[in-house]
Amino acid sequence: MPTVKPLPVTVSTTFLLGNSKSLSRSLTPLHPTLVGSTAATILQSLSQATKDTLWISYDPNSTEKLLRALSWPAKSLGNAMLFHAMSPQTLPALQHCFGKYAYAMREESLPPDELVEALLSDHRADLFIGGIVDQSSKTITLWRGHLGSLTVPFSAFETSGDGIAPDFGRFSVTDSGQTVRLGTYEAATDAILYEFDPDYRRRIAQQRQITDQSFGASLRRLRKQRGKRREDFAPISAKTIARIEQGAEYTHHKTTLHTIATILGVAPDEIATY
Amino acid sequence: MPFDLPISESLKRARWKVKIREKESREPPHVTILRGALAWRIDLRTGEFMDRIPDPADVPVELLTQIHKADSWKQLQQEWDCKYPANPIDDRESPEVK
Repeated sequence: MPTVKPLPVTVSTTFLLGNSKSLSRSLTPLHPTLVGSTAATILQSLSQATKDTLWISYDPNSTEKLLRALSWPAKSLGNAMLFHAMSPQTLPALQHCFGKYAYAMREESLPPDELVEALLSDHRADLFIGGIVDQSSKTITLWRGHLGSLTVPFSAFETSGDGIAPDFGRFSVTDSGQTVRLGTYEAATDAILYEFDPDYRRRIAQQRQITDQSFGASLRRLRKQRGKRREDFAPISAKTIARIEQGAEYTHHKTTLHTIATILGVAPDEIATY
Repeated sequence: MPFDLPISESLKRARWKVKIREKESREPPHVTILRGALAWRIDLRTGEFMDRIPDPADVPVELLTQIHKADSWKQLQQEWDCKYPANPIDDRESPEVK
């Protein structure tokens, strides 16, 4: 598997904000230090923070106390995962203090034991640790284990043939980050990444047992994935599509490629990545 | 909701799951074996593992036996077809037009 840049977490630099011993126990494999809630303990933690420190908080009051305790202009505190409600006005301050940060409601993020499993995985970038549903833009922003994000539209979650439809009011992540749950609807993380992250798609294609890497084979895979028949590419004939797929037609006119790509909903140069 | 193949209690306790989830219509018909942060896909047409990584050898034989048991396998195929009628197991598209 291609190397994923490690999340900068070391055993000595994970700070858990607040006083929850049970949370601390759940996060034990990350060796968190409980910061506590007094000004003295917060200041002590701040003095030890480096750019590789990971801050985890499930408590909005503790996060507020941390931000208030900073001396501005603040040095970089490392990275943060904040699993509680967050005021939009706080986001610029977070951006200033943390190299990377993710925030989500606790119930919209992985349970602590699964969070640990995801963060310690060598493919953490391909796991979702939480997310935010925005009903106004009809998008979901998903946080990945390396604290990158991916925003996908509601339309990505089509109703399945057995009538199971996504309920965007009931979002959570499960299976240690491998599944996005929308009510009773469960979407596979790898299917989401495959559709919306071209880098993931290229990377995963190398490790999957795809024997035929030709353009024709890629086109056939993508066409099948999109649920299209060869007859669906008018004005291009089904016969031409078949010939391209079997490699019998190597020279593809620019207009032909553009038409195929438009119908499949991708850029022409993306077809070969499938 | 996803289809969860019933498996033995011992495998459940060991955190194994066998699922056909939603939003997989764009992939070849398959069933996913999940354990923690790892997943293995088995092709529902050929019965073979679809990926080299993670190592298929890490999946217990007992679980594979349960998946490949005739009635389980048939049920998995039926569930896929029910969930993804546009991408059925039995793909009888004319092979090629010459």
